[in-house]
Amino acid sequence: MDRDQALRLVYDAIDVVNHQLPASRRLAKSLDTVIVGPYGSLDSLGLINFVITLEERVTDALTVPVELLDSTALIEEESPFRTVDTLTRFLETLDGPTAEDAEDAEVQP
Amino acid sequence: MSSVSSVVEITRTRSWRNVDAVTYGPLYFLADFNIETLARLVGNSVLPGTETRMALAAPVMVQLASGSPGPEWSAVVWSQPDSSIASFRRAVTYEEPDADRAIEETREYAASIGRFARGTRATFVPTWVLPPWHRGYGPLDFRPGLGIAHLLARMNLALSDALRDEPNVFVLDAARWIASVGPRAWSDKLWFATKSPFTAAVFEQAASDLAAAIAGLNGGARRLVILDLDDVLWGGIVGEVGWQGLNLGGHDPAGEAFADFQRALKGLTRRGIQLAIASRNDEAVALEAIDRHPEMALRRADFAGWKINWTDKAQNVVDLLAEIGLGAESAVFIDDSASERARVGSAVPGVLVPDWPGDPSKYREALASLRCFDVPFITREDRARSGMYAAERTRRTSLSAAGDLQAWLESLDVVVTVESLTSATLDRATQLFNKTNQMNLATRRLANTELMAWAAADDHSVLTFRVADRFGDSGLTGLVGLEFEGPRARLVDFVLSCRVMGRNVEETLLHVAAAHARVRGAAELVAEFRPTSRNAPCLEFFRRSGFRAESDGRFVWGLSTRYERPPWVTVRDHSDVTRAGNPA
Repeated sequence: MDRDQALRLVYDAIDVVNHQLPASRRLAKSLDTVIVGPYGSLDSLGLINFVITLEERVTDALTVPVELLDSTALIEEESPFRTVDTLTRFLETLDGPTAEDAEDAEVQP
Repeated sequence: MSSVSSVVEITRTRSWRNVDAVTYGPLYFLADFNIETLARLVGNSVLPGTETRMALAAPVMVQLASGSPGPEWSAVVWSQPDSSIASFRRAVTYEEPDADRAIEETREYAASIGRFARGTRATFVPTWVLPPWHRGYGPLDFRPGLGIAHLLARMNLALSDALRDEPNVFVLDAARWIASVGPRAWSDKLWFATKSPFTAAVFEQAASDLAAAIAGLNGGARRLVILDLDDVLWGGIVGEVGWQGLNLGGHDPAGEAFADFQRALKGLTRRGIQLAIASRNDEAVALEAIDRHPEMALRRADFAGWKINWTDKAQNVVDLLAEIGLGAESAVFIDDSASERARVGSAVPGVLVPDWPGDPSKYREALASLRCFDVPFITREDRARSGMYAAERTRRTSLSAAGDLQAWLESLDVVVTVESLTSATLDRATQLFNKTNQMNLATRRLANTELMAWAAADDHSVLTFRVADRFGDSGLTGLVGLEFEGPRARLVDFVLSCRVMGRNVEETLLHVAAAHARVRGAAELVAEFRPTSRNAPCLEFFRRSGFRAESDGRFVWGLSTRYERPPWVTVRDHSDVTRAGNPA
């Protein structure tokens, strides 16, 4: 996934979760916005809503199922969900369907 | 003629979604799942500032039995069918369904909601839904006596039927929210993580519908759609191609889309919403198209007014609002031109100016998605309103021809029928009460249950007035509310639709109010004006009414003197409110 697309998907998910937040706590659409961590605005419900929304959009974009809601990944120190920037970089590493996926699909009985 | 620069008052331009929540009251959520996301959307986005509260975690029946936090609260009661109805829980796991028992349990559930709702301002109950992937018995799922989908449909209908007579309960169609969102509506992952079965997208649909319903309950529904003509009601520029060259109807996809859009607009008029035209065109050419094109679904009689000329469109909108007697907050402006939309949006604060699709095949959907027309009930006056506006146009024409205002008033044969508020007139009276701004003494806003409760008090009276003349019946268009405190009668509410202003109906209302107060033993009638940004016409009326002005805003009439009615107005007193030895 290219960076522009990844960033757009992250910002789309931010738009969705911002509707649920009071104006003073809405996430800014900038690379250094903290998502998870001591200075993050999202509580557990907000974070799960954000991650699942993003997961759906990334799945649609890559046309393969993507799992982002991983409690380990959320809490680890070097979590990709720390900031918008780290999350975007992580999404850039995700690939769409491979040739192997296409072959598997063809051989389905 | 009002100028754009002086139009109305400076109001905060707002979309229908960001309405002022301060007046709408707090919202209480009862659910058997985690409904926090919906509460956050309501409190932070669609009705910002609304106080929200979640019922304590417990089965919904227990939450209902615990009652409402207070009568000023509205509530949302949202349950899952297999949690609330034990028979359905068995059916959905493919035990043999007992439909009769499920319907009986549904009625018991509805009765609990009814009891709870009587302690709220309004209660909203989303229908029951199942996940889209739940196929039940497949091709048999709509078979009576077997299918799960069939049983759920019957339960939803039974729920709605059982709540029909609760005037402040509104059953909302949750299936439409699910369908709007599509495959992303349901998330088992979200359920297992948060105990919320629906994704945020579903809650956004729900929140939008809730906000629209609450706005409608508080008189905030839009009542007028002002339309451009070229490439809005038909394809093409009528001034260039003539009515015969317009793309409308026929077998052309765009032409069919325009015709469909007109039919959708016509449908709005049957809900009491008015249409008007603001178009840059030669009036005669445009009206010829409206009169003669065989595929027009809308004719002249369907429009409350029009400004078809080469004047600034924002000025035309202002003039239309003044002519029709509605405020900017009542109106929606639809134009295919982004620049015209921007002009009207900035120059006429309060008018809703939605972005409009460039493709006419999307017009009908765009109109339906506005959600700004939601009202808590449809009255007889709503369905007849187009005819009333057509009659009003005829009245204005006859006034122009008459020249002498007094002679014209005397020729109208105005008949005012008064009766006490009844359950039959409650819906229309509440609508009038909450929608009227200009001729409104106190501008109180009450739900229908609140108005009826106020009227039922021993020391209160609420009188309603129907107005008709030789041009037609304007329906229930006036209301007074009176409070009796020993020798003093207080005129709490004085409400009159702008459609009947200026025909001496105002004086007739005071005549009846004074006569009724005398019957009730009062010695004076006191009216206290409460100013808003919109009701200056009411203050002006009371200043010239003959009532004694004790201060700016306090007016008194000594009831030892009759307040005479205009002799050319006939009063029919159906409830004998003015008699008992004191004939009107």
